[in-house]
Amino acid sequence: MDASKNLAEHGSADPNRRRELLAGLKPSRSTALITLVTAASVLLALALSLGLIAWTGGSAWESVKALYTGSMASKAAWSSTLLYVAPLLLVAIGSCVSMRGGVFNIGQEGQVLIGALAGSWVALRLALPGMSLMIATLVAATVAGALWAGLSSLMYRLRGVNIVVSTLLMTFIAIQVVGFAVSKDWWLQASRIGDSVVESQSNQLPADAQVGSFGEYPNIQINGGLIIAVLLAIGIAVLVSRSRWGLQLKMMGLSPIAAKHAGVKTGRLSAVALGISGATAGLAGAILVTSPVSTNRLQPGVSNGIGWDGLLIVLVARFNPLVAIPVALLFGVLRAGGGFLASTGVPSSLVDVMKALLVLAFVVPPAVVQLAQQRRKRVKTPRTKTPVIKNPTPEGAVA
Amino acid sequence: MKSSALVPEVAQQVAGIAQAVPAPALELRGISKAYGKVVASDNVDLTINPGEIHGLLGENGAGKSTLMKILLGLEKPDSGIIRRQGADVRIANPQDARKHGIDMVHQHFSLIGPMAVWENVILGDTGAVNRSAACEQVENVAMRYGLPIDPLARVDALSAGERQRVELIKCLRREPEFLVLDEPTSVLTQEESEELFDVLRRMVQSENRAVILISHKLAEITAATDSITVLRKGRVVFHQLTSKTTHQELARQMVGRDVSLLADAAAVGVLPVAGTSDADAEPRRDFSGLPPALGLRELTVVQDGATLLDRFSLDVAPGEIVGLYGVEGNGQSVLGDVLSGLVMPTSGSVAVGGDVVALERADALTRAGIGIVPEDRHRSGVILALSVAENLAMKSLGSVSGKFLLSHRAMRENAQRLMAEYSITAPSPDAPVGRLSGGNQQRLVLARELSNEPRVLVVAQPTQGLDIGAIEDMYGRIRAVASQGIGVLLISTELEEIMTLASRVAVISSGILSGVLAAEDVTAERLGMMVGGAS
Repeated sequence: MDASKNLAEHGSADPNRRRELLAGLKPSRSTALITLVTAASVLLALALSLGLIAWTGGSAWESVKALYTGSMASKAAWSSTLLYVAPLLLVAIGSCVSMRGGVFNIGQEGQVLIGALAGSWVALRLALPGMSLMIATLVAATVAGALWAGLSSLMYRLRGVNIVVSTLLMTFIAIQVVGFAVSKDWWLQASRIGDSVVESQSNQLPADAQVGSFGEYPNIQINGGLIIAVLLAIGIAVLVSRSRWGLQLKMMGLSPIAAKHAGVKTGRLSAVALGISGATAGLAGAILVTSPVSTNRLQPGVSNGIGWDGLLIVLVARFNPLVAIPVALLFGVLRAGGGFLASTGVPSSLVDVMKALLVLAFVVPPAVVQLAQQRRKRVKTPRTKTPVIKNPTPEGAVA
Repeated sequence: MKSSALVPEVAQQVAGIAQAVPAPALELRGISKAYGKVVASDNVDLTINPGEIHGLLGENGAGKSTLMKILLGLEKPDSGIIRRQGADVRIANPQDARKHGIDMVHQHFSLIGPMAVWENVILGDTGAVNRSAACEQVENVAMRYGLPIDPLARVDALSAGERQRVELIKCLRREPEFLVLDEPTSVLTQEESEELFDVLRRMVQSENRAVILISHKLAEITAATDSITVLRKGRVVFHQLTSKTTHQELARQMVGRDVSLLADAAAVGVLPVAGTSDADAEPRRDFSGLPPALGLRELTVVQDGATLLDRFSLDVAPGEIVGLYGVEGNGQSVLGDVLSGLVMPTSGSVAVGGDVVALERADALTRAGIGIVPEDRHRSGVILALSVAENLAMKSLGSVSGKFLLSHRAMRENAQRLMAEYSITAPSPDAPVGRLSGGNQQRLVLARELSNEPRVLVVAQPTQGLDIGAIEDMYGRIRAVASQGIGVLLISTELEEIMTLASRVAVISSGILSGVLAAEDVTAERLGMMVGGAS
């Protein structure tokens, strides 16, 4: 390669390179290096976490044991881990779709809540027979999540409101809406029994609406929600990596202008991508109220950070729905084990710190490696900024 | 090579003018600057006197901007000196330039839309922000030079002409002795331009300042300036008092004398372009009598109140190469964007083979048979992170997929076929396009566009950033395309390129088609006049 070619490549690759960095989709020669750095930073994150526990007066070893006991030591522990995995994975796979399309939805928490609200309303207020009640519950939650996300698309379309901002702010609205719903008896508040004080929560969802499980305590228990989530993850993996639609989505994520130029209807595609993200988050909300992971009641805190964690899972899994499965499992372990750890006296907020450190350990290395490589390149090729390449006069061709 | 040695008359004129005015305020002597092999400034001498508006005329790449960047301290010259009032000065950065009273209004405004006029004006100042003082200052400057503006207005609510005023006020507030204006009228209406020149005239005469006006518009440069310097290929080729020159002479000097030679050669088809042997061996088929491959009718694009393309009409016949020539920023890019489906025209129509294209459909242009090699291939031509195969299939996903699933095999086969046919060198069809060289990327775009069997091929700046070998290859391929009966619209700012390839030359100036010439009728003077927007 001669010098001018080299320069031409550098000169204009920058904006796209930044996108690559965001998308993390680029198969890179430095994969091995990234893996190495990631492993090192995960170890560092673990060391920091344990150090933190020790520093706050806990015992690092006891804490690790507690984490393990709560999440993996017994079949029951595994069951509770897997109950968390289902909604986490659902949120994550939908977000894979939107993120790949370059639509940065960060309002999953709100979409989960609205899904839970819509599902609960259907389950409690519609008298449908047998299985159809459960199906209606799940479908209603999915649709509600998609519509809630659709409001952000609409705001973008009509007034150009930034998607990141609107999805985030809609979460706070969703929190208020759910809080309101469970405190009004004409909406979803639990019925009054005698003169007792009524809490701000709904009645328990009818058994027909609940998603059943395979296996009973003390055997391992696999909830239907997990099966739905894994099947959807596989379906979405096929959709994004094998389908025509998936390639168009990827094109839009990497370069909206080139995608539009190639005939992709970018406006519609991004609305659909955001809708899918909202839909799976809504479904996750329904799983939260219909599976044994909670009390089967709609409560203001029912989402319990599942939406935020799902977003983190996508970042760690670098927008790959299949990679999201093991990552969701890891987060499930941290949740189940974290609950148990809290009962041993270690503040549960430390588990959140640990989670955050782990996420950073996974997310930061590729960016750091890429930056380092760029810097090295810049040092190697002295900066000749160049109107040269812009208009090389084709003297040779004309002479 | 010394330009003054080559053109003795010019040297004499320069010397004569320098003698007539005893103390030249600003002198550039022997300024040279090369970027790699390309010489942007070649031993340039320029003298600016107080009380004059000095016009700097030249095409793209003539070296105007390089010279001004050196004057402003944005670039360091390889050799040469700058003198102010007879004393050598060193200008290492724009702050230095400002200290010596040199300031510039750039072609592209550097204003912050959501902020008020007064805020924009004091931007970059240090110390406390004093709103009322700033407003007062804006009003004072505005009053003194006749630039009415509301200091409290938000910049994004202003018209292009008013924004220009803000830029001017920003500069004038610092009382520069020398003010450089780079293509100041490119976004202004006729009246706004006239007002601007009135202001400049007043400033120069009453306060004995000097203005350097960079332009390629003949009419305004002859109307507004006192003396004119013409640059071509980095050299001063002409210098004269404005009153002693004519449009015709300036046009000739700007474009150069060799253009007719080029045209003659093009007419008889003897231009040396490598790789065309196959195409040339084929006898040219006759495509006359067919409807035009591409018909642009009254295309108008208005963006943010600026008319970028003004009732632009042009036909390209099948098998014909039409060159669209003009100085950069005269509407070529937006025309390219319209033909890429990225910009909807405000009015007007695009027809392919006589059928009007429904532009609101996302893939309408590709379906109608317009292939386009865009000006900025990294913006819309290729996606660097995607593979060669994916980029090649991007516009015809239907041919490499079923209703739902992609066939990776079909994509790879398609890629291998096109890579062989267009000699695209890549490690594999799965390699990301970002790893390919510029020439290979450009061939990839061409291959994809031609694989969709277009009736028209639009190529915008097809050889920008390519080396000589890749350029020759691209020329050969464009000719081969035309010989197959595809109409080619070549949008370029390189005259050599246009003259090498095109049989007709259309010229665009300020978004208006200023004329169409057969290649053999092109003369420096006619072309220069059309580029300059003078009829």
